[in-house]
Amino acid sequence: MRKPDLPLQYRLMVPLAVVLLAVMAYPLVFSAWISLHDYRLTRLADVQFRGWDNYLGLIENQQFWTAITNTMTFVVGAVSMEFVLGFALALLLHRVRRFQNFYRAILLSPMFITPIAVGLMFRFLLNIQLGVVPHYLNKIGIHVDWFGVDLALFSLMLIDTWQWTPFMLLMLLAGLESLPKAPFEAARVDGASAWLIFRRITLPMMRPVILVALIIRGLDAFKVFEYVYAITRGGPGDSTETILFHIYKVGFRFFRMGEAASMAYVLIVITLIIVTTLYWSMNRR
Amino acid sequence: MKSFVKGAQVLALATAVSIGWASAGTAGSLNVIMEEVPDFDIVTKMTKQFEAANPGITVTFDAMPYDAMRDKILTSSLASKATYDVIIIDNPWMDEFSRAGYLAPLDDLIKSSAGYDFNDFVGPLREIGEVDGKIYGVPYYNYALGLIVRQDIFDAKGINVPTTLEGYVKTVKDLTGGGMYGAAMQPQRGYKIYEEWKNWLHATGGDLMDASGNVIINNAAAVKALEMYIDAYQTAAPKGSLNWGFDEALQAMATGQAATMLSYNWMLPTLNNPNGPAGKLAGKFKLYEVPGGEAVLGAWHWGIPRNASAKDDAWKFISWITSKAVDKERVIMGGAPIRISVINDPEVWEKGAGKSYFNTVLGILEDAKPLSSGDHAEELIEIVGTELSAAVSGQKTPHEALDDAAKGVMAANKK
Repeated sequence: MRKPDLPLQYRLMVPLAVVLLAVMAYPLVFSAWISLHDYRLTRLADVQFRGWDNYLGLIENQQFWTAITNTMTFVVGAVSMEFVLGFALALLLHRVRRFQNFYRAILLSPMFITPIAVGLMFRFLLNIQLGVVPHYLNKIGIHVDWFGVDLALFSLMLIDTWQWTPFMLLMLLAGLESLPKAPFEAARVDGASAWLIFRRITLPMMRPVILVALIIRGLDAFKVFEYVYAITRGGPGDSTETILFHIYKVGFRFFRMGEAASMAYVLIVITLIIVTTLYWSMNRR
Repeated sequence: MKSFVKGAQVLALATAVSIGWASAGTAGSLNVIMEEVPDFDIVTKMTKQFEAANPGITVTFDAMPYDAMRDKILTSSLASKATYDVIIIDNPWMDEFSRAGYLAPLDDLIKSSAGYDFNDFVGPLREIGEVDGKIYGVPYYNYALGLIVRQDIFDAKGINVPTTLEGYVKTVKDLTGGGMYGAAMQPQRGYKIYEEWKNWLHATGGDLMDASGNVIINNAAAVKALEMYIDAYQTAAPKGSLNWGFDEALQAMATGQAATMLSYNWMLPTLNNPNGPAGKLAGKFKLYEVPGGEAVLGAWHWGIPRNASAKDDAWKFISWITSKAVDKERVIMGGAPIRISVINDPEVWEKGAGKSYFNTVLGILEDAKPLSSGDHAEELIEIVGTELSAAVSGQKTPHEALDDAAKGVMAANKK
């Protein structure tokens, strides 16, 4: 009897490899290919090779860089607020002994609402003429135009923070609960203050969890689209135009898929650089 | 490389084709894509009559929000067999879709339909459906803008409704105060601000492009229109309404916060309906032509995809729903008028919103200009709408914004 060419473990992997190639590799390769062409859905019979023109065109594309800047601002702002709030809530919940599951259920609930519904909800909640929030703020003398040119992007960050702080909470709470008890007990016996324990023991030991939480949330925040779509449509001006909204516009409203694909690839490169830098900076001693 | 391209296209289209096969119209059944708005309900109700008169044909509607329609129509058009046998086409998509070869010409079908009277459709509406000398769309619904005012306020103050832009700006400023705003404006970036401001642009004698196709969006008339628009926004519109669109402006009118708004002409019957959004204010609203008299004309047209399999049945449905008799019934039920004979029909006045309303609508439609046209119409709206928003929000001066809009329009036209 002839021995099989491939060991069993590799043969078992073949179906998965085929599926992955079909659903991941092929679209990636195809989108890379169209990024090098003038590929328009309304002119499929006349697809022209453009070389690097789509990429070079981005250098002078002011809207693209504005969208990148807005997205970076959004990611840094929203994820920072989510991290601080999420960590604070995780530390509090870590100490709670009674009704812990009840608190968790309440705090996690925003995460389970679809983002487009959250966007529509806040569009009317924060509407300066019709919204409940400005109505009560006005009563105490605070007048805020949440979607004015100065605050619109920040308002989107706040909405994201409302929805995704629970994710940070979940990750960080799991991390806190997995930490060994001994170092904390030893520090307390030695008379260390709560702040010293947090700074010298909790934070260093939580570093891997923090890194993972920041990377996952950061990558997800880069994909912000629904709030922009439901609330501001990128305005006022281009103050809330994010990169995914911009790519959607070029690709699916103007049908210039080649140009949109080149933007998506630049975004991938930028994202990889940021993740690598974050990973490196968090792991260095 | 060619085989790779083919392979890529085949796989990309395979999904669309499979979707198409899953639900494409077969003999005796028509799939119709519609926007999920009140006029869809009217068409749905009326279609029962069509099915009763044509027992061999079943009509299935796929209703969806506006934003989902363009993608769906595109996917259906790229497949070898269309998902939809009948589609509705928005004004900015008409040139692009017909030149991309998605739409079947309707000239022969129209000619072969005795008594159809295509010339009875209001001229500017009819012309939107004609591209490069062929007819690709039959009017279904008009989205022309008019000036809707709180007539009781104008009467109480003894003010005439303005017919010029200068008069309008002065009037809305005068009406502002004591919890009332002169104008509920819609400066939301993109489509909404472009649609509203273009009425102002027409009033100052400007346009996007001249007859030769030169971009004139940054000429003196355009700057004047934008400066006046910003002036009105800053002095007569609700504070913090920079992102307001149709819903918010309507809400402000319906709740008595604003005295005027530029909106779709057929919103008048809705506002004057005692069971509608305006409640106790119903009956106090009146429609006029926009200041300057040249309204922006948005319009939906019925069309048949080139790859539709049931074209004859599709035309049977379209010619039925847009026929004089059926259209009259549709307008009486609240649909937006498209035929001159229906607008001038005393029975329609009596059973509908009244003679004055229909006379005004005809006046608006006859002088109206399309929202946008050309192969890049959708993109031009976005480009200009973004720059207008930047100017209204103070990020750019009117000159800067319109110069940037002109550059953007020229660049888009070259693509």
